[in-house]
Amino acid sequence: MTVLVASVNSGIDIELSFNEALKNVGVSPEIAHLLWIPFPMGLVLIAAVIGVLVTVWLERKISAAAQQRIGPEYAGALGILQPMADGLKLLTKEDIIPARADGLLFTLGPILVLVPVILSWLIVPFGQSLLISNVGIGIFLWIALSSIQPIGLLMSGYASNNKYSLLGGLRAAAQSISYEIPLALAVLAVVMMSNSLSTVDIVEQQNGLGLLSWNVWRQPVGFVIFWICALAECERLPFDLPEAEEELVAGYQTEYAGMKFALFYLGSYINLVLSALLVSVLYLGGWGFPIPIEWFASWTGQSIDAPLIQIFTASVGIIMTVIKAYLLVFLAILLRWTTPRVRIDQLLDLGWKFLLPISLVNLLVTAALKIAFPIAFGG
Amino acid sequence: MNIANSTELICFIILGTIVIVGALGVVFLNNIVYSAFLLGGVFMSVAGLYLLLNASFVAAAQILVYVGAVNVLILFAIMLVNKREELKPIKGLQLRRILSGLVCSGLLILLIRVDLTTTWNLPGPNAIGELSTERIGEHLFTDYLLPFELASVLLLMAMIGAIVLARRDVLVSDIGTGESADQILIEKKKTPILIDKISQ
Amino acid sequence: MLSFFKKVTEYAKDAVGAANYLAQGLAVTFDHMRRRPITVQYPYEKLIPSERYRGRIHYEFDKCIACEVCVRVCPINLPVVDWVMNKETKKKELRNYSIDFGACIFCGNCVEYCPTNCLSMTEEYELAAFDRHSLNYDNVALGRLPTSVTTDPSVKPLRELAYLPEGCMDPHDIPQDKSRAGKLPLEVLELMNSEDNSNQKDEKENQTVFIKDKSEE
Ligand code: SF4
Ligand code: SF4
Repeated sequence: MTVLVASVNSGIDIELSFNEALKNVGVSPEIAHLLWIPFPMGLVLIAAVIGVLVTVWLERKISAAAQQRIGPEYAGALGILQPMADGLKLLTKEDIIPARADGLLFTLGPILVLVPVILSWLIVPFGQSLLISNVGIGIFLWIALSSIQPIGLLMSGYASNNKYSLLGGLRAAAQSISYEIPLALAVLAVVMMSNSLSTVDIVEQQNGLGLLSWNVWRQPVGFVIFWICALAECERLPFDLPEAEEELVAGYQTEYAGMKFALFYLGSYINLVLSALLVSVLYLGGWGFPIPIEWFASWTGQSIDAPLIQIFTASVGIIMTVIKAYLLVFLAILLRWTTPRVRIDQLLDLGWKFLLPISLVNLLVTAALKIAFPIAFGG
Repeated sequence: MNIANSTELICFIILGTIVIVGALGVVFLNNIVYSAFLLGGVFMSVAGLYLLLNASFVAAAQILVYVGAVNVLILFAIMLVNKREELKPIKGLQLRRILSGLVCSGLLILLIRVDLTTTWNLPGPNAIGELSTERIGEHLFTDYLLPFELASVLLLMAMIGAIVLARRDVLVSDIGTGESADQILIEKKKTPILIDKISQ
Repeated sequence: MLSFFKKVTEYAKDAVGAANYLAQGLAVTFDHMRRRPITVQYPYEKLIPSERYRGRIHYEFDKCIACEVCVRVCPINLPVVDWVMNKETKKKELRNYSIDFGACIFCGNCVEYCPTNCLSMTEEYELAAFDRHSLNYDNVALGRLPTSVTTDPSVKPLRELAYLPEGCMDPHDIPQDKSRAGKLPLEVLELMNSEDNSNQKDEKENQTVFIKDKSEE
């Protein structure tokens, strides 16, 4: 895996300059590479955690607005520090392992839920080469990693020694298994158009004509399927059966407290942000500005490789990705306060009898269109 | 030996130990749930071994299929049918144990011999890394097309079988009316396929 | 084949209909976001209770004649009237009176039926206590007057929705003298009086019209 955190067109390669600097001090290039490794890891963690903090704050504020409340107000200006306060509270709470629970699995469960989600951030691109690792199997890695999650959920559900937890864990696993299939099929249609699993290639392929060449126009059905499935995978409200308060107390989280609960909480929000980012990557042109940056550059008479333009492109890329992702998060929160929770049979009906056939048809139609109009649907 | 090689070796040793110890745990642990979770761990470390061999697509597929589907299914089955049963003592257990031990050790000796007589250090083909995904696709749709299609037909058969088993409308009938019970009574009326055979 | 296509069309129609409803729901939620929060920041802001608010009961010991009507009309015979017969004067002498607000349902029956009007309902609703026995108010506690929300200097009084001026939804920053929507009872009375006067004049005309209507049928 190549580790790259650099600006557009590798004009400014941070890793390279880091290694150069260390070499000048007299460190061998291999050791320099080893020393470099923690940086992208830390970057992912920080980005994910900040993303979560912002999302939690947004969730609280937008929920409050939708219900004509004020929401958090006293912790910092506009309650901006409230998520931090929540986190601190969870940190200082007692770490309880129930008496008849299975201590080892009980501890391992939340970790198994959180780690794959954080790992999946590896493939989220914020710019041409502004991503942690441009793995060839890109989006497939995410699908594979997110299939580890049900194991963690089952584990914590089983280890809690509580019927609600077990039911919640089973429900969560059933849900994420059944929605993984239409999700993968929707992704497959996109992959078919861009001829690559790599997230960078997928975005590149959408950015020829700015707004007009985004995948939403070519894959409207796929977009809807993907979004529904992503919400189901994140256990967001129309599909939050695993933790349905009225029936299951809190599902697999029932027995958890303190930091272990915080891991679940963090995991679900990181997953939400990740899903939103991936929707923007797959369907909304990722880091692309609605008007191609190249046109802008040629209009100002600058070459695309000029350092100023590069820095500008990089920052626009990051901002565009984040804006698109947060618009989707906003939509998810609106959906949360609009739709009632579905029943388990309705959930499975929707997954198997609606989304699965539709996504198969979508795949078929995409393949046919690709053969019929290779220009518009990727040669 | 440079750092890259030694990290690879360290990773290999760790993954190998996890695979071996995990597999032994799957077999020897009394708690079946633990066995199932350990199996997941073994699958994941096998995926790690694939990653070490530069086969990232296979690694991801391994996780997706074995961890995400097979292992979760096993866990589901265990958790839904978690009945404690008193096992009856089997007659001649000692003899059986000795026999199976002999067979296993024979197999082990065979494997060790194969291991010793084979020259492992062959100059294999160069790793193609990222290109492997495309190559796998090409092979699946050209020279391996027949096995591929056969496998899919097999899976389809298994699926239909599972559906028939799960919908017991044909097999169970109401004692009083002789009508088939469960689904038929709940859902709308329809003629079952096999009812004649059973009534005859 | 045709029935299959029919099914598919129906299915698609269902899906589009569901999406349509979902979009409508989202629009409603979205519309709510631009409305102002109706939150009252409680310890600092309080709503002014309406005139007929049924809060904690006020009791005047000196007016009470110990007739026990309040006990009889109370659904749970709650008020405790502790009196003794003074043999010499042949009169009841009231010793103590108490109502337990942990059990009272604030129905107001006692207030309604008290012959001497010594009971009345106040606007006090903050009855929280650390011990439920301290909710049993004796005649001294019952005789206390509550602090009015409007006179408390540490509280910002807010008008309730029905008492806001016309077209106004936000109780903050409304001029004190701005009158509520609709007419005050006094104004209604005035209006009715003036209408009565004019009605007396019209009465005859109306009656003839009424008779005409009947004959037409
Ligand atoms: S308000 Fe009703 S319940 Fe309370 S004391 Fe009076 S009559 Fe009894
Ligand atoms: S009804 Fe009034 S006067 Fe009679 S006992 Fe009760 S409070 Fe006193």
